[in-house]
Amino acid sequence: MGFFEALIDIFTSDSTYINAALFAALLLFAATGEWVAERAGTINISVEGMLLSGAFTTAVGYDLTESAVLAILAGICGGLIVALVQAEMSHRLSADQFVVGLTLNILVLGLTGFLDREINPKTKIVDTWNIPLLSDLPLIGQALFGQPWPFYLLYVLVPVSGWMVYRTRFGLDVRAAGENPQSADVSGIDVNKRRRQAIYYAGFTSGLGGAFLILVQVGQFEESIVGGRGFIAIAAVIFGGWTIRGTIAGCILFAAALSFRLSIQGLGYQLNSELLQSLPFLVTIVAMAFFAHRVRPPAALAQPFVRGLE
Amino acid sequence: MTAVAEPATNEKQAGRARQGARLGEWLVLYALSILGAILISALLVTATGGDWQSVVTALLDGSMRNPGRWGETLGVAAPLLLVALGTVISSRAGLVNIGQEGQLAIGAAFATYFGFLIGGPGPLNLFVLLVFGAVGGALWAGIAALLRFWRGVPEVLSTLLLVAVAGQAVAYGLRWQRLLLAPEASRGNRNQVSEQLGTDRRLPEQVIFGNSFPISVYLAVGVALIVAFLLARSIWGFRLKMLGRNPRAAQHSGVSQKRYGSTALMLGGAFAGLAGAAMLAGGGFAFGNYQLVPGFSANIGWTGLLVALVARERALVCIPVALVFASLRTGSGFVASTGVEGRITDVIQGLLVLALLVPPAVMFVRDRRRARAATTART
Amino acid sequence: MTDNEQWLTGADEWAFSRAPLVELRGISKRFGAVVACDDVDLSLYPGQIHGVLGENGAGKSTLMKILIGLVLPDSGTISIDGVACTIHDPLDAAAHGIGMVHQHLSLVGPLTVWENVALGDAGKLDSDEVRNRIGELGEEYGLVIDPDARVADLTAGLRQRVEIIKCLRRNPKVLIFDEPTSVLTPDESQLLFKSLRTMVASEGKSVVLVSHKLDEVLSTTDDITIMRQGRVVDQMDTAETTAPELARSMVGREVSLRAERAALGHIELDIRAEVAPEPTVVTEPMLTITNANASGPDGQRLLDNLTLDVHSGEIVGMTGVEGNGQRALTDLLSSLLPLDSGTVTVNGEPVSSSSPGAMSRAGIGVIPEDRHDSGVVLEMTVAENLVLVDPQRVAQHGIIDHKALNRFAEKMIRDFGIQCSGPHAPLWSLSGGNQQRVVLARELADHPKVLVAAQPTRGLDVGAIEYMTDRIREAAAAGVAVLLISSELEEILDLADRIVVMSGRRIVGEMPRLGVDLEYLGLLMGGANV
Repeated sequence: MGFFEALIDIFTSDSTYINAALFAALLLFAATGEWVAERAGTINISVEGMLLSGAFTTAVGYDLTESAVLAILAGICGGLIVALVQAEMSHRLSADQFVVGLTLNILVLGLTGFLDREINPKTKIVDTWNIPLLSDLPLIGQALFGQPWPFYLLYVLVPVSGWMVYRTRFGLDVRAAGENPQSADVSGIDVNKRRRQAIYYAGFTSGLGGAFLILVQVGQFEESIVGGRGFIAIAAVIFGGWTIRGTIAGCILFAAALSFRLSIQGLGYQLNSELLQSLPFLVTIVAMAFFAHRVRPPAALAQPFVRGLE
Repeated sequence: MTAVAEPATNEKQAGRARQGARLGEWLVLYALSILGAILISALLVTATGGDWQSVVTALLDGSMRNPGRWGETLGVAAPLLLVALGTVISSRAGLVNIGQEGQLAIGAAFATYFGFLIGGPGPLNLFVLLVFGAVGGALWAGIAALLRFWRGVPEVLSTLLLVAVAGQAVAYGLRWQRLLLAPEASRGNRNQVSEQLGTDRRLPEQVIFGNSFPISVYLAVGVALIVAFLLARSIWGFRLKMLGRNPRAAQHSGVSQKRYGSTALMLGGAFAGLAGAAMLAGGGFAFGNYQLVPGFSANIGWTGLLVALVARERALVCIPVALVFASLRTGSGFVASTGVEGRITDVIQGLLVLALLVPPAVMFVRDRRRARAATTART
Repeated sequence: MTDNEQWLTGADEWAFSRAPLVELRGISKRFGAVVACDDVDLSLYPGQIHGVLGENGAGKSTLMKILIGLVLPDSGTISIDGVACTIHDPLDAAAHGIGMVHQHLSLVGPLTVWENVALGDAGKLDSDEVRNRIGELGEEYGLVIDPDARVADLTAGLRQRVEIIKCLRRNPKVLIFDEPTSVLTPDESQLLFKSLRTMVASEGKSVVLVSHKLDEVLSTTDDITIMRQGRVVDQMDTAETTAPELARSMVGREVSLRAERAALGHIELDIRAEVAPEPTVVTEPMLTITNANASGPDGQRLLDNLTLDVHSGEIVGMTGVEGNGQRALTDLLSSLLPLDSGTVTVNGEPVSSSSPGAMSRAGIGVIPEDRHDSGVVLEMTVAENLVLVDPQRVAQHGIIDHKALNRFAEKMIRDFGIQCSGPHAPLWSLSGGNQQRVVLARELADHPKVLVAAQPTRGLDVGAIEYMTDRIREAAAAGVAVLLISSELEEILDLADRIVVMSGRRIVGEMPRLGVDLEYLGLLMGGANV
């Protein structure tokens, strides 16, 4: 098959879009929460650990109860547990958030690997719900409206998160904490509390992401189930210029690259897979380099806040 | 009306008592935290049916007690120490470098490529290897420096992203013979592997009491001493400290953020790259057997970063901390034989790091409260 | 200032309700060994503007922090409307009806005006309600502002307006203003005081004006409490007192030296009768800045075609409301701001504005307006801070000789009277005045040709102010070209030989100190085209 025919084949086949949607969904679950956390001024590097923890607890939950709903709740708890350590150590005890985050990633990887051998939970992929009419749309129909039902949670989660940050008291406090924690503090906002809450939210959404991985995309827990995609989610938030729309765009873009790579390899083409795999990161670096002046991170990003002396 | 006069004797005594009490606070906090970490680990082991005693024994055997093991541990500690020292330098300048894992990989790749390209007699080639390892790491960090000082991209983000890119770049290089891949004959049954270093271009080993370790250990310790001295005593170290604490005061005083900052960041990369080269040329079975493979960096970069952070950015303290982390690593191999999943050492390491973070964090909060009370009143 | 009478009439209707809104009795607070407040009594009545006067360090700020809930008192009672209570935090204070207008401390730049005003409220966020309220309050008090403007784009005066509205929205019974006029032009200050009168007259609020400026307090308030060293030393009706009396109370002794009166914010109107100093020989200027243009990271203009020169031995006083480019000028001369165009020369030699440390090497010493920003490194020791710019003086072959360092530090500590526990003391442990002495010592140690002193006495008590002004005069007498940048007119009038006015990021006027026309000066500062 000629290269161009291969391209056309890829762009016209349902599976490309379905894969892209699945990849994007995982990224979005993680990136949405990470976006809120970064707007509050924290860099939550433990996203990877949150996803993994959520996936593992979902698997165990399903193994114990055979109920997808309860398994998802278990997944949320898994994400929240990691968030607990990250939030309390970084923003109550003032430990270095990078050390905590990186350590958590290693810790969760070790712990889940360790427990997986012992417990070996059994799970399966959940039923697909086809939304009538919409799922018959060509190409994107199945991808967006013909997925297992936990996928649809995103349609609520993402807009609600955006609304929350831009239109609620919590969101205003979070944005103030991320831009100017000193002023926020003087105005009566508990900066570190908001930052902790933002991290808990990230734990919540990433826990959902982990559940998604188990119940929708992969179906079985393994150590490598997250495989660095937590970091891609972080890249998506940065690439998106710390706006919700940008984050969505970043997730879709990176997912498209991942899906494209899968499809083109399936057709026997050996495109530079390393380039494709590093594409999200390269693109983000380039975007940062060229748009650094127009796109601003929250001014207090990654700066811990302690009510200061003069 | 200066107050350089001798403080009264009871003031001195009060000062010493305060210092003693403080030391006590630190010791208690550390003891409690480490105990907590150990307890949780023990609980995990016993909850899954293992035997805590045998895990400890295995760890000790694997890292120190069995013949030849502490030599292995030293061999692992050397690159950890080098990475940590580089991190200390960039941190002193106020830069957050979290890309050591990638800088290490690129360093190892450069060492492989240029080592084989340039060739030459054994010892010279070894030297070339190490130098290019450092160069590779420095250049990789240099990308982040460029992005930071010319485009304003925060280095915490760029170094992190570059780690993923580095891994992919090395994997790519290992697919092409003209880059890093070994010719078919030398590949054995593996797909992506570089040519193995000849025996005459490996780091010489030192053997003491039946333990053999590469001389990179001496290199690392020597570098630690030099770095500690320079940071504490030299004008360069003084200026780095200024830059890290107050970049504007530094600029007023003639310290160019671009120059000193870039240098510090690139030194961080250079040390990581050197560590990578040292792992390649001195690794033995601990590190891929003198051959470059995908995933070569084996988390040494991340762990080295942790060593620096746990050592609170003090060059000399990095030495014992590196030994502790290295012991965990070499001990973990033995743990598997006790029937407990080897992964438990990652868990122990993680818990230990978190535990070691707690005391400084708590003391920091307490100190702030005390200082706030004392200084709020001053104009 | 003869508008006194006109303004006081509004208070009459409330004069009969003599029950105090807020009563502080026996408030004491100490921080470690330092007594900040010592048995303070204070009563605030509705319909009154109450001035709390005292020099820096007298305890006024701590007292207000106690009232607003940022600090808890060690002893004493607070009664509001006759009911005793404790104030735990700012939200608690707001619930009790006490609000404070902060000095550019509580606004978040990238957010809009209405978002900032809503910051810190409890409960649901209702943007329409907030916007409407901003409009209402603006009408009522003459503080109109666009609710959807971005705070970062506003001037300092407008930002203060946002702070005031933020405060008024909670409908406080008591409003505290802490040194509000330092960021305002004289015109804006007048507008502010008019608003204060409205608040007090029409709604019976109680306003507290905390200040260290005599003239301001005399012209604006109804009664005055004077604090010194943590204690209340005097309380009187404004109408019954005079400037010299206030000055005496503030400092605790007869204040006869013009210098100290200036430090207390009182301009002697008999300056013109001063004996003329010896005429300085006209020489080539030591420092010349020509057509300097500089811009900031967002492209905003920081310096606009600024031209200035300073001769050896003269003190040029640069006055002007804060925020008109003074910071940028100081940054330029500290090698912290590169020029887009224009030149800086010292002793005829051009100096690069983009090379770090070049200004310092050329012989320009700088005492920056915020020493924590670029003057010192708090975490380093006194000794280290003393050699920040020139560590080579105590080093050999690039290695610092710690014995030489200590010797040098001890000499500086002696010469400049720096109070500290020794060369190894961390800088954060020194008081503000002593930190300033460290900066002074360091910058003078290299015998600079030019000395730039930006707001050098801000936040210092009278003794420290005296010391600084003496050393500055000394430096000029020794031949240093001194550029004094200050928003305190009194300081300028006290020290300068020649006065230049900075407004709109450029020099708009110049005059010798003798024969200065205060009105003309005020106009220039306000940006009028004269």
